[in-house]
Amino acid sequence: MKAIALIDGNNFYASCEQSINPALRKKPLVILSNNDGCIIARSPEARILGIKMGTPYFKEKEKLSKLGVIVLSSNYSLYGDMSKRLMNLLRKHCEKIEIYSIDEAFVSISRPKDNNLHVWARSLRSFIYQNLNITITIGIGENKVRAKLANKLAKEIDQSSGILDLSDLQNADDYFKRVKVESIWGIGDQTSKWLRSKGIKNAKEFKEMDTYEITKKIGIVGKRIQLELRGYKCLPIENIKKTKKEIRVSRSFGEPITKEEDLKQALAIYTIKASRKMRIQNLQTSTIIVFTRTSHYSNYNYQKSAYKNLIEPTNKTNIILKIVLELAKEIYNPEYKLAKAGVIMQKLTTYDYLQKSINTSFSEEKLLKEDNLIRTIDALNEKFDNKAITWCITKRKQNWRMNKNLLSGTSTTNLKGIPTIII
Amino acid sequence: MYYTSDFKVLLIPLLSDSVSAGFPSPADDYIEENIDLNEHLLRNPFSTFFLRVKGDSMINSGIYDKDLIIVDKSLTPKPGNIVIATIDGEFTVKRFSIKDDKLYLKAENHNYPDFNFEDYSDINIWGVVIYSIHKLT
Repeated sequence: MKAIALIDGNNFYASCEQSINPALRKKPLVILSNNDGCIIARSPEARILGIKMGTPYFKEKEKLSKLGVIVLSSNYSLYGDMSKRLMNLLRKHCEKIEIYSIDEAFVSISRPKDNNLHVWARSLRSFIYQNLNITITIGIGENKVRAKLANKLAKEIDQSSGILDLSDLQNADDYFKRVKVESIWGIGDQTSKWLRSKGIKNAKEFKEMDTYEITKKIGIVGKRIQLELRGYKCLPIENIKKTKKEIRVSRSFGEPITKEEDLKQALAIYTIKASRKMRIQNLQTSTIIVFTRTSHYSNYNYQKSAYKNLIEPTNKTNIILKIVLELAKEIYNPEYKLAKAGVIMQKLTTYDYLQKSINTSFSEEKLLKEDNLIRTIDALNEKFDNKAITWCITKRKQNWRMNKNLLSGTSTTNLKGIPTIII
Repeated sequence: MYYTSDFKVLLIPLLSDSVSAGFPSPADDYIEENIDLNEHLLRNPFSTFFLRVKGDSMINSGIYDKDLIIVDKSLTPKPGNIVIATIDGEFTVKRFSIKDDKLYLKAENHNYPDFNFEDYSDINIWGVVIYSIHKLT
């Protein structure tokens, strides 16, 4: 019989930092989100000190320094590399794998004759620890919803030592009672509120709720979740990478933006990134969206977006840049301090210049020329660390750049940033 | 290669053909694939890390100041291996050895002391050093 496990890295970002910097081990450590905004990861030592996830850094700054907590900006190139390593190592020990997020994967595994997956799980845990110094939690069930729930329970139950197989539990319902409806995989905020209003508080009650009522309110998705909780398998492991629906580049600013030229510059930089991403994946866009908003912590709330549909899909930076800068005028408002902005490329299709020349008025020769130009720019930038050729607008002083004041700078992917050992 | 998409590959042509026109090169049939140092140096790419060393405590083993070392964490350390260890929260590079059933980390330079595992409460082996890359020019 096949089982499904949800495997995730514990305190993943903090563990990545500790993995390649032993001085951080066994210390209270927190990682801040992009732009040093909120606390998004904690080492167990920091958790014990009562530091909460999601709290804005500026509110906790004093407390953290008083408690001697080490604070780091997020180092996504490190976490991305460790994630890639983790997923590839897991792949060796599982039959199928679906990468669910940077630190989580669903895997499928056949149960041995005695049904006991503990030997497999224990050796996988120590294997990952030896190779990456990252501790993983393994929740095992008959399907994805139950695997996710088992993973959550494994973290809460101390004796589980990071492994929990729902089929081992004699009194599974007692455990289901401990899981709040909000924590069931696939149940969002709105649905939880509705369920609470119906008196449904935990996974056991949801499992036993009238199916018709669920289907009526939240549709087939809700019904599937309930069926999976009951032990049926509805959602397969998807090991094929889904094609991207959109490409989004957005960032918070280090300093709020009030000038139109700064907003335009920020959007231009995001556009250059997004277009490059499209070209790497051989995609082109037909809908370009730009947006901006004020900070969630400010008293004046403003957010606005604008979009344009293209007749000719494209992935050329120069064409997209012109459109984005036009759209920027529509979303700019001098009365607000803008905290974040972004560009989104939607309706992505595969790019093929020959195909394109049939559909458009441009000659094949002209398209090929354009292609060669942008490809040369990309190649030069690749070679010279994105510093060779860029658009003029990016060159002005960038006052709004994101804060990453506390970046560890340690890298596993760039020789300049690898750890130095004094021997 | 199954990891080429994940790891940057450095390609060094083994033979290159610069004849621009005219006769085809007689070497064409003999051109082999490029040397991929990743393929040769990284047996387990997902468990392999690069680190830079500073200091001279390992010079007798051929590890010099500023060398780039390649560490494979998937290997189980055996006595005689050069390893990266953490002692009280700090990385070091030493030779792992066992003598009279006791574990040691030995320096490869007589000016430096050896470490006896018994003397430290926080001492662990992090990975096995598989190569040291030393720049000669």
